[in-house]
Amino acid sequence: MSTPAAPAAAPPPLDVRGVTVRFAGLLALDDVSFTVAPGTVHAVIGPNGAGKSTCFNVLSGLYRPSAGTVRLGAAELTRLAPHRIAALGVARTFQNIVTTQGTVADNLMLGRHALSHAGFAASALRLPRALREQRAHLAKAREIAELIGLGAHFDSPVALLSYGDRKRVELARALCLEPRVLLLDEPVAGMNAAERTRMTGVIEEIRAELGLSVVLVEHDMGLVMRLADEVTVLDFGRAIAHGTPDEVRRDPEVLRAYLGTAGAGEDAA
Amino acid sequence: MTGFLDSLLNGLALGSVYALIALGFVTIFKASGVLSFTHGSLLLLGGYLVAVLHDDIGFAGALAVAVLVTAAVAGALDRLVLQRVGGTDPHAAHVQTIVTIGVDIVLVTDLARRIGGDLLPLGDPWGSAVTDLGPVTVADSRVAAILVSAVAIGGAFALFRFTPWGLSLRAAAEDREAAALMGVRLTRVRTAAWCLAGALAALAAVFLVAFPAPGLERTTGQIALKAFPAAILGGMTSPVGALVGSMLIGLTEAFVAGYQSDLHVLGEGFGDVAPYAVMVLVLLVRPAGLFAAKGAARV
Amino acid sequence: MSDPRTLLLKRGPLLLVALLLCALPFYLDAFWLRIGLFSMAAAIGAVGLGLLSGTAGQLSLGHAFFLAVGAYGYVWLAGEPGPGLPPAVALVLAVLLAGAAGGLFSPVAGRVKGIYLGVATLALVFLGHHVLLTADSVTGGFNGRSVPPLELGGFTFAESDPELTVLGVPFGAEERLWYLGLVLFAVTWFTARGLLRGRPGRALVALRDSETAASVMGVHVARYRSAAFVVSSMYAGLAGALLALSFRRVVPDYFSLALSVDYLAMIVIGGLGSVAGATAGAVFVTALPLLMTRYADQLPLVATPGSGGGSIGPTEASRYLYGAAIVLILLFAPDGLHGLARRTRARLSRRPSVTGPHGSGPSPAPERAGSDAASDTPARAKEHTP
Repeated sequence: MSTPAAPAAAPPPLDVRGVTVRFAGLLALDDVSFTVAPGTVHAVIGPNGAGKSTCFNVLSGLYRPSAGTVRLGAAELTRLAPHRIAALGVARTFQNIVTTQGTVADNLMLGRHALSHAGFAASALRLPRALREQRAHLAKAREIAELIGLGAHFDSPVALLSYGDRKRVELARALCLEPRVLLLDEPVAGMNAAERTRMTGVIEEIRAELGLSVVLVEHDMGLVMRLADEVTVLDFGRAIAHGTPDEVRRDPEVLRAYLGTAGAGEDAA
Repeated sequence: MTGFLDSLLNGLALGSVYALIALGFVTIFKASGVLSFTHGSLLLLGGYLVAVLHDDIGFAGALAVAVLVTAAVAGALDRLVLQRVGGTDPHAAHVQTIVTIGVDIVLVTDLARRIGGDLLPLGDPWGSAVTDLGPVTVADSRVAAILVSAVAIGGAFALFRFTPWGLSLRAAAEDREAAALMGVRLTRVRTAAWCLAGALAALAAVFLVAFPAPGLERTTGQIALKAFPAAILGGMTSPVGALVGSMLIGLTEAFVAGYQSDLHVLGEGFGDVAPYAVMVLVLLVRPAGLFAAKGAARV
Repeated sequence: MSDPRTLLLKRGPLLLVALLLCALPFYLDAFWLRIGLFSMAAAIGAVGLGLLSGTAGQLSLGHAFFLAVGAYGYVWLAGEPGPGLPPAVALVLAVLLAGAAGGLFSPVAGRVKGIYLGVATLALVFLGHHVLLTADSVTGGFNGRSVPPLELGGFTFAESDPELTVLGVPFGAEERLWYLGLVLFAVTWFTARGLLRGRPGRALVALRDSETAASVMGVHVARYRSAAFVVSSMYAGLAGALLALSFRRVVPDYFSLALSVDYLAMIVIGGLGSVAGATAGAVFVTALPLLMTRYADQLPLVATPGSGGGSIGPTEASRYLYGAAIVLILLFAPDGLHGLARRTRARLSRRPSVTGPHGSGPSPAPERAGSDAASDTPARAKEHTP
């Protein structure tokens, strides 16, 4: 039922309807709905603990909501295991960097997992088709590394890279999945000003070139205002506002709930 | 009928001894996330100390020394070795688990060398005496096992519930990072957990080798591993679960052994391995154990 | 990608080692050949366990069980009582049988993770041992069974049949089995490295390092866990069959928990997650007790076997040594022999200098390290820890 992930084709809309998540009596998400229009950048913002990452975990299948649905086109994601959602072309990064041991190439090749096929037997016997496939995907991964500006580090162990570079490895790994929907969980958190500018540029470039939908969780309001087409504001697990960045910025409830508490954090970049 | 009651009593006695060991597993796991594969050697150490000391200082004295020394060895093992392994590695607890296997090899090798091929008597006061309880005859050692274990387990539960250490232990099991932030001295909490587990293991040793078992031998330590199924059935983090799991394991073993002749398809001595069969069956149905905390629907 | 010279430089050492191994039977006596043979068999098994416990992070203490399935599987399939198949067919089927046994356990192996699996697999060893003792029509019970020699196209891997002398060296069982072991080990080396460097290997590493990351990148967690278990069982089965051929008799007591622990020691000492490391660890753990037994009279503190009286025999001495080795290696060099070798090599060539914009230098920061302490963002929510 999934079409091959061709970057040029417009992704289907991502539709979140009435999603509710409960942790041992605590309401982490309360009837949250929003729609990510194809090819747009949709930011999800809110104070700490508002449920942003929980929302991402629902989108990528790590949490199963107690109510509500998430649809990507015709596919209902809430019923699928994470690896099936990945196969539909939904990729994500993590707020805390989660890379695996090995080189940048190894990590990016993990991103190609869903797009490649070599199994245990073919790899163990080093069948020509497995080797061919590996070469082709390695070339593609290198291309993506160049695009993100990691070309020089392609064969370096991830553990030796700087913080900013490791954040970019995560982004590149997600892109290696050739996603139709990209979920970015605080892509510039913990970065210095120069790294932020660079990352912002990279995200803009990806969006322009690949035409995918981006869902963005971010504290950096500067980045959100610059990148987002639409913004959903969460507070205590509820969606309290939707709209363009400008509309949201003027919404009194948002000012009270979010910008008021985050205070100095506004427009940090 | 007497066969049934016999098996029931044997099972309860065995279960309560397993519970001593399984409680140790659970305590250590809650405090540090480590599975202790050193328990076999701790048990053997406790038994060995009682065996060599009881002639000189009497059984009670020997038991007291054994419990204290084993507790100290377990605590030292944690403080001096395990806590220095792994550092900030997110898999540190796993690495430490493997270290406990290495420590076990060294300790068991040494104790087994000392014990040699002998069967060491522990000089326990109940010896081979038996008591008639209505229709059944029970070994005094079984009764003692049930009573002493009940007291020790009750004491351990009181520690869990009513002391600051017990509170810290629960906090550490919930979220190690948060507990540390709230000022819980994790290093002390976990060392204390190891001490308690060591003490319980030494106590268990006495009953495992008491009548009708022939005495302490070099392989006695392996019995500790049977408490693993008990702890796993209980979900590894629940003391109550470990208690129930232990009883289940003990009763299974006793009934399989008691009805050996009806179960001959399973082969002679199946009782010894029945705990593992139960564990596999339970894990097939519930991979997280019977009493695992039901958290959020985290897939 | 690389010109012939660098290819030769890369492959050269491996080729040289292979040649050396092929030449050894002409120079070594049976004692050393047996050490080599046992080491090769152990290395095959250790590579399998390394794949499961080192690469995929799934602890197994049930390895002895799968060694037993391979060993007894071969004996029964090739022997009498049993179907009496041609031994070469029996060998292949024994490996598949071990894989199938691993597959039967996969409902547990796919869902129970990490160190918990170590406990679950204890069951395999104890239940397996019980079956070996009980099912005597197949296993021969306590006394075990003798192992029919391997036969391939009229050539028998035993003392004679046909008599064989190569370059003046009579080829007995040890010499013949040496080459068999070498071939099987080469197959193991080739396939395991192919696996590790290919798509499955990367997926398993990801599973170990972060199940969450692996699954959102499209890795079917349960299936890969089970597959790692099955593949590891197949290597164990092959190792078991080769061990059976070398021992010429299989007995249940050999396949005990201690054997599983030996294999765990091998991969820890060698360095988790590498084929070369597992091999080095296997040679160390296998050869140590044999060498100690042979040279006991020349070693301080070690008594000759059988002198008894609480003295330290060679077997005990080697167990002390490798028990301590596990602890010390994990304390001071967690990446084992393999890591030591790699670091020495790196120091001999030149230090890699990787300095990012942060200028944090080449200190390997573990994931989730708080290296963002100096950042200017508002405090981040800690609501998601994968």
